[in-house]
Amino acid sequence: MLDILLPILIFSALALAAIGALRRVRLWRQGRPSPVPIAKSLAAMPRRYLVDLHHVVARDKYISNTHVATAGGFVAAAVLMILVHGLGLGASEGLGGVLGWLLLVASACMFVGSLFVAKRRRPPPPRLSKGPWMRLPKSLMAFSLGVFVITLPSVGVLPADLGSWVLALVLAGIVAWGLAEMVFGMTWGGPMKHAFAGALHLAFHRRPERFSTQEGGPGRSTGLKALDLDDERAPLGVGAPRDFTWNQLLGFDACVQCGRCEAACPAFAAGQPLNPKKLIQDMVVGMVGGSDAHYAGSPYPAPEGGYKPVGEHGGDPHGPIVAHPFANGGTALVDAETLWSCTTCRACVEECPMMIEHVDAIVDMRRFLTLERGNTPNKGGEVLDNLIATDNPGGFDPGSRFNWAADQNLPLMADRQEADVLLWLGDGAFDMRNQRTLRALVKVLRAAEVDFAVLGNEERDSGDVARRLGDEATFQSLARRNIATLSRYRFTHIVTCDPHSFHVLKNEYGALGGHYSVFHHSTYIAELFDSGRLNLKAWKGGSVTYHDPCYLGRYNGEYEAPRRVLQALGIEVKEMARSGYRSRCCGGGGGAPITDVPGKRRIPDMRMEDVNETGAELVAVGCPQCTAMLEGVVNASAEVRDIAELVAEALNEDSAQDRASRRAQQSEEALVS
Amino acid sequence: MAFDALLEPIQIGKQTIRNRVVSTAHAEVHATDGGMTTARYVKYYEEKAKGGCGLSICGGSSVVSIDSPQGWWSSVNLSTDRIIPHFQNLADAVHKHGGKIMIQITHMGRRSRWDGYDWPVLLSPSGIREPVHRSTCKTIEEEEIWRIIKDFAQAARRAKEGGLDGVELSAVHQHLIDQFWSPRVNKRTDQWGGSFENRMRFGMEVLKAVRAEVGDDFVVGLRICGDEFHPDGLTHEDMKQIAAYYDATGQVDFFGVIGSGSDTHNSLANVIPNMAYPPEPFLHLAAGIKEVVSVPVIHAQNIKDPNQAERILAGGYVDMVGMTRAHIADPHLIAKVKMGQVDRIKQCVGANYCIDRQYQGLDVLCIQNAATSREYMGLPHIIEKSQGPKRKVVVVGGGPGGMEAARVAAERGHDATLFEAEEQLGGQITIAAKAPQRDQIAGITRWYQLELTRLGVDQRLGTRADEATIRDLRPDILILATGGQPFLSQVAEWGAAEGLIVSSWDILGGKVAPGKNVLVYDTICEFSGVSVTDYLADKGAKVEIVTDDVKPGAAVGGTNFPTFYRSLYDKEVIMTSDLALHKVYREGDALVAVLENEYTGAQEERVVDQVVVENGVRPDEALYYALKDQSRNHGQVDLEALYAIQPQPCLASLDEEQGGGFLLFRLGDCTAPRNIHAAIYDALRLCKDF
Repeated sequence: MLDILLPILIFSALALAAIGALRRVRLWRQGRPSPVPIAKSLAAMPRRYLVDLHHVVARDKYISNTHVATAGGFVAAAVLMILVHGLGLGASEGLGGVLGWLLLVASACMFVGSLFVAKRRRPPPPRLSKGPWMRLPKSLMAFSLGVFVITLPSVGVLPADLGSWVLALVLAGIVAWGLAEMVFGMTWGGPMKHAFAGALHLAFHRRPERFSTQEGGPGRSTGLKALDLDDERAPLGVGAPRDFTWNQLLGFDACVQCGRCEAACPAFAAGQPLNPKKLIQDMVVGMVGGSDAHYAGSPYPAPEGGYKPVGEHGGDPHGPIVAHPFANGGTALVDAETLWSCTTCRACVEECPMMIEHVDAIVDMRRFLTLERGNTPNKGGEVLDNLIATDNPGGFDPGSRFNWAADQNLPLMADRQEADVLLWLGDGAFDMRNQRTLRALVKVLRAAEVDFAVLGNEERDSGDVARRLGDEATFQSLARRNIATLSRYRFTHIVTCDPHSFHVLKNEYGALGGHYSVFHHSTYIAELFDSGRLNLKAWKGGSVTYHDPCYLGRYNGEYEAPRRVLQALGIEVKEMARSGYRSRCCGGGGGAPITDVPGKRRIPDMRMEDVNETGAELVAVGCPQCTAMLEGVVNASAEVRDIAELVAEALNEDSAQDRASRRAQQSEEALVS
Repeated sequence: MAFDALLEPIQIGKQTIRNRVVSTAHAEVHATDGGMTTARYVKYYEEKAKGGCGLSICGGSSVVSIDSPQGWWSSVNLSTDRIIPHFQNLADAVHKHGGKIMIQITHMGRRSRWDGYDWPVLLSPSGIREPVHRSTCKTIEEEEIWRIIKDFAQAARRAKEGGLDGVELSAVHQHLIDQFWSPRVNKRTDQWGGSFENRMRFGMEVLKAVRAEVGDDFVVGLRICGDEFHPDGLTHEDMKQIAAYYDATGQVDFFGVIGSGSDTHNSLANVIPNMAYPPEPFLHLAAGIKEVVSVPVIHAQNIKDPNQAERILAGGYVDMVGMTRAHIADPHLIAKVKMGQVDRIKQCVGANYCIDRQYQGLDVLCIQNAATSREYMGLPHIIEKSQGPKRKVVVVGGGPGGMEAARVAAERGHDATLFEAEEQLGGQITIAAKAPQRDQIAGITRWYQLELTRLGVDQRLGTRADEATIRDLRPDILILATGGQPFLSQVAEWGAAEGLIVSSWDILGGKVAPGKNVLVYDTICEFSGVSVTDYLADKGAKVEIVTDDVKPGAAVGGTNFPTFYRSLYDKEVIMTSDLALHKVYREGDALVAVLENEYTGAQEERVVDQVVVENGVRPDEALYYALKDQSRNHGQVDLEALYAIQPQPCLASLDEEQGGGFLLFRLGDCTAPRNIHAAIYDALRLCKDF
């Protein structure tokens, strides 16, 4: 009886899955066009899955091994099942017997995997979604166990006419349950949807540069995509789900609700109304249409404590994502404060095993709120007005940008026309705290006899804050004018102590025609030290930890240089539990201090606690924003110092003559060796 | 507060100054070796530059000619090329830290003394005597005028060759240039006096000669007065006319403006306003000058607080603020502004210890900052944390010496405990601050309160430490700064034992209510006697202050006694000198004070209802002698090490022998009554090496 039932079950499941897939594709295609090379993308998918995605998943060994067993077992079992039970190849001798045995191994493997999936959810950690996801381990077991048992007769371990029709029906039922979840559910919206959407998302990812290739090392793509402000048909940002590109919608659909983003999100931890996982699920709700009532993970924290209730928000592909302030009783798919809570730290993106681009989506939606609605909250509007009027967020007299350096005799590009290094000062030039860092950096560059010059009052804000606040127009205006200024001078590198300027100059000016070799000062100082141009005294202070700035670390992969500099000073860094790519944001990115969405705690306070846990007396940083945020922590036990300050203090102030003789000696040594 | 206006650079002549803050010209009394800017001088200005000060104008009243003697105030001598290499050291030290440095140059004319050094004949336009210095002078001759004009030009050349950034011509405080300006002093009828142009001529010739010598790329400024405040002197309108007249030449790069003339005791007190004055009392005069000139205007006078300075600059009253005493109190003022540590600035309280010493020809020191002017000795403004073991330091007594000791010990990283018997810190400062117009002296305590709290010093207020408490804390180092008590028992006939007299502390501290008819007997003649007298008069008492010294408040310095005298005369206080208090006895409800003339022995009596005696402090030594023999060092300080700013040799014994008891030191009035500076200086030089 099974040999009749099984092919029916298998092929009807496949047919239903195909219909579901078409339906799913239609949902995605509600988004705006985004041309991709179909065949090439599909061909790239397996490597992206096996290398890049696995690289992320493998950070959690337990789930990585579990997933290899379960998913690997399932894919093999599914294919073999179609062959063995669907096409009946298992009945034949020879090859068929082998297929049957292989199917047994695959389903056994999957079963073992599903045991671990089940164990993981006993009880489920808070970051995991419940609801249908709680039934998934059972479905996995049903599928694998069912397939295993029905395959036993195929290989002759059990008699072909095993048991009665009752037993056959029971087995068929179990297999049907498994097929429903694993095949039909894959395209109709069950937990297994992640496999289908995920595979295609990897193939058609909006940022193909993110993935490694056989030729090179791991790729990186973190610069925001420019809006074409001249395209009158293109919406200014994303106001409704259909305004996302189709492959962004596809990406949201790939979410496996593992909650790694939630666990990494500083805003969520601070009790601000943001949970990246819920946000992505809300986008799926919007794409499909409906409400968030079925969401089964941690909702958005409510500023007054607890969580915002689910079931009160919803939308459709063409409706607004954020309610217009004067309509709909104030709710739509998500609340504006959710979008403004994000610090753009990329911790979620870094953690996401499905390689979803949360920050892109958030900035897209912010663009709409800022450009179309003019609704940048709190100080946002003022900061943007300042940027428009004065080219700096603080609204300072543009002619006072260079005031701090009145006693520094810094060479100006306008006078020099060329220099090896163009020192980009950033808006920290207006900030007394950062001026100390700048002075220190100048001292270091001078000690190493670097040929450098500055733009002085010709420099403008890089546009970072404008862009993260969604004001793409102001960003592009600032960027274009900076690019025009830079184009007048000749220099080999740009060096800056501001990772935000660094990121924007390096990764976001390219789209507007500005291509530069940009160094963060820690990288540049590390190179100066390595080439023997800095003579440093040994560190005499207490214990030190290092805080990775998001825009240096996660955005640009620079984790080593700052640590190398600290090491050069003789400092043994006491690492925080959250460091490197898992560093926690200071709370200062993405305009978050400006939009200032209330939470239960302040993000920098949490970060200072991380510092305190190491027992370090000093936290070394490499970002003006991080410095400002961490120094703003009341009663902090650790002092906050920029790496440039530590290096400047450690300089052995020997004469230029000593340095010259030392260099001569080094070059002699180089000749000898 | 952002301090945007304060920190905005400014162009003066061809020089860019990094911010709007100036340490204006004052006599440092540091130019030793015949007026050379030697190590002490250089380090004093280097510290200000290191601390972020934009412009220092050094060398108040630096002389251009040999008949303007420099020795009395150790001012800088620009009458010789010998100064040039010294200037180079000075300029390098300041420029290294991004600061700019100029020097005030002058001929002081009659405003000096003739009875010393080269025994010069002093010069003045019309030979009229100057009251403040009791100086007589001759009427200057034409040849001498032209010689001095040349001397000015040569002095400016020396400043330029020495690498300084500019000179400020002094036409203020009644120096020779403004002696010519002022009809009060210039009675000439030749081309150097009479009409406006004639009175201006000398200064104009000096300016022209200087500019011709140094060219356009060297700053030349002019310091003037905003109003002489003399009925027969130059008024504000006169000064506006003068400023505009010189400005019209286009040869002046900046004006420095000071309110008030200074050739009498009373007007001199205006020039360096003490704590009795309101903030920036003469800003309006400088603002008036700014209205009529085309170049930056600098104004100094009681601008002590960066918020105040920011307000003045943002309001556009003047272009740069002089914060001179503010920098004497804390040369790192600007650095602290920039570090966001405004409440860590040691703010000048206007005690005028600095300037009162200067008028006596003594080196300028700060009442509350013992490191100022001692940078060359290695006394630090910023105390470095010790690399050695952490000590338990117990300080008994929260007066100035005790507070400084606790602060320095804590800055060194030690575990410091401070006992104070009263409910608040400050010791005698708290008492001193009770007098009218003297409240700002409590600013000294306020700073220590903030710092001690910031540094986590265990402050046990309202707690009298005894032997047992101290032993329980097991200190490594014990410092006694327990002060003393009013010394009323010195003369038994005063009747202290019978309760016939009270102390100034009793009155100022509120322990004894002011009487209605009071005799204050003050044999000390410092601030305490005039303070308690002013306090009593302020409360409505009829007061006579009697001293056996030459005048009441004789030891109160030249910029402080006038504000007391104004107040005492205004309240009809009777001031009597040359009488000693012989005896006090009771007669019915009244007290009879018997006074005896110092010179004739004649006695006279006063019938009053209260007798207040100010006879200084008797050290409180009990705790010291109780603990002395238990200490490792028997309470002895190694004077050679102390005076040489070296670590006390006995500190080494703490490392050598664990558990061998504590080191014991005494500071301040519990040793012998001196003053706030003495206590703080001893505390700093002793504790900086703990």
